[in-house]
Amino acid sequence: MQPGPDKPQPDLPAKVGESVIDTRLHFAALVNSSNDPIISKDLSGNILSWNRAAARVFGYAEREIVGQSILHLVHPDFQHEESEFQRKLRAEEPIDPYETTWVRKGGGNIPVSITVYSVRDETGHVVGASKIVCDLSERKQTDESRFRLAAIVDSADDAIISKDLNGIITSWNEGAQRMFGFTAEDMVSQSILRLIPERLQYEEDEILRKLRAGQRIDHYETTRRKKNGEDIDVSVTISPIRDGSGRVIGASKIARDISDRKRMERMLIQSEKLAATGRMAATIAHEINNPLESVMNLIYLARHHSAESGKAHQYLLTAEEELERVSHIARQTLGYYKDTGSPAEVFLHQLIENVLAVYNSRVTALGIAVDLQFNDLQKIMVSRGEMLQVFSNIIANAIDAMRHGGSLKVSTRKLAGATGDGIQTVIRDGGTGIKQEHLERIFEPFFTTKGDLGTGIGLWVARQLVERRGGQISVASSTEQGRSGTTITIFLPFATPSSRLSSEQG
Amino acid sequence: MFEISSVAIYVADDFFQNQLTSLADGMDSKEPQRSLPKILVVDDERRIADTLGEILELAGFHVAIAYDGWEALERAARFHPDYLLSDVLMPQMNGVELAIAIRKTYPSAKILLFSGQAGISEILLDGQKQGFEFELVAKPIHPSKLIELLKAE
Repeated sequence: MQPGPDKPQPDLPAKVGESVIDTRLHFAALVNSSNDPIISKDLSGNILSWNRAAARVFGYAEREIVGQSILHLVHPDFQHEESEFQRKLRAEEPIDPYETTWVRKGGGNIPVSITVYSVRDETGHVVGASKIVCDLSERKQTDESRFRLAAIVDSADDAIISKDLNGIITSWNEGAQRMFGFTAEDMVSQSILRLIPERLQYEEDEILRKLRAGQRIDHYETTRRKKNGEDIDVSVTISPIRDGSGRVIGASKIARDISDRKRMERMLIQSEKLAATGRMAATIAHEINNPLESVMNLIYLARHHSAESGKAHQYLLTAEEELERVSHIARQTLGYYKDTGSPAEVFLHQLIENVLAVYNSRVTALGIAVDLQFNDLQKIMVSRGEMLQVFSNIIANAIDAMRHGGSLKVSTRKLAGATGDGIQTVIRDGGTGIKQEHLERIFEPFFTTKGDLGTGIGLWVARQLVERRGGQISVASSTEQGRSGTTITIFLPFATPSSRLSSEQG
Repeated sequence: MFEISSVAIYVADDFFQNQLTSLADGMDSKEPQRSLPKILVVDDERRIADTLGEILELAGFHVAIAYDGWEALERAARFHPDYLLSDVLMPQMNGVELAIAIRKTYPSAKILLFSGQAGISEILLDGQKQGFEFELVAKPIHPSKLIELLKAE
């Protein structure tokens, strides 16, 4: 394929003077050894010379084509261009390299790129032109497959990124833009580290080390950072890119968004945790609630059989009260707590006072000041058990947020709401507050900020119960130093949702 | 044996007051008065069944006790209870099955179930599917509250 440029070719024209023979032979050898066709023509378009590459690409031997019109080679659709080039040539106007289609001997189109040089005589007049013709048929094919590949790469859901061995990004597909929010303009020629959270940047050193050694990295699960600062769980596969000689010159990286799967996994773990807690509670419940029932009965009987004026009677009465506290907690946490029967008319503030009584010892121990403002004035139809659960969950959260004391304000008032009159309860704590990014998730099931101590269902359950009753629950919170705290507002309309009566099941 | 005055604290309405008075009157007699409301107390935890039995006698009930569902059905056949107070999770026959049997035989009997355990919703659901719903309270329950519930119509 690569003819040696050093040997003089035997079919060269030999009519040359002694003094210039060396130079001419060298030029001739150079032209003949060119891999691209080189053709010269006169001003009327007749071919004057024809190198070996031209013979190879177009199929005509030198003797066949020399003296013929250049139009022999030009595809009929493009012959009009040729006359324009002839005109420019004569007018000594420059001709930019151009692409067109030529035809080989016996037919067959060949896409070509042509560079034209004018040839001048000793006086400087243009006498013809030489054309270097570049055969594009191979490049066209390569281009096509490259376009096809690019289209595939861009239509992929996965982020496909290439980078060099210094971790500088060299390409960035649309999937990457969708996944990370950065455009190709943002990222090409930037460091890949921009996508890696600080705590994980050591990973990149390890990745580059493996790549340089020619190793690939398969389905490595890690975390990357989006433009908006959010983290995203990804599975990445990174393979080395080699040049023609097999040397590693960079890497391609395919990242798949696995945050949904990770979220599912986390939820499964949470629900499994919850189920385990539930099973444990059920087991313990039997062993606690039954003895409690016996003890309560026994103390009751003992009191009835003791002299009413005696000290024992008083002790037993106190014991009974204490036992009632334990029982309340046991019923709520371990047992099946359900107020059977239909909803009843209750004063919401009485119900809230009941809940506060349960947490009284913790409130006192933590030095929390409780401020109550009850103006509900009117009973409301609710399921007592459900509302106990709602307020119990919210008040427990408020107390958890005030590990170092603070104030807990609870107020109720009658309110004319958009959906009719009802009672609004506002529970405000002076605790640590909820971070902005957590705020919109706190009503999601299994979302907790309490780590392993939380089940992540308290507020979710509260919302279910409030909304099922036709009410609304909302939250506002601040983590600002000095004025942090969370406010939960619950509105319950007096009217019960009618749909509930007809469709209540399970 | 009975301290009527303290019982009266928990039993305020006239009906029970009358029963207590008559109970006090006939205290020497071993045979309970026919007009006393009859309650069948069932719990496989014997201490619970026994203590509740005593408490409910103090409250003016004529009490029969059983420690499982089958025994309860046998007793009911002779006792004709006006009330059934039963645990839910019991071996052999659970409280709901017992309650259904009692409801079928004594439709006017008032039935109250109590349980100290979660995870009984399936048992209750079984009853619901057959068209039976029963009032359920959580253990532990204070005796005075229990009496109040039984009295409530």
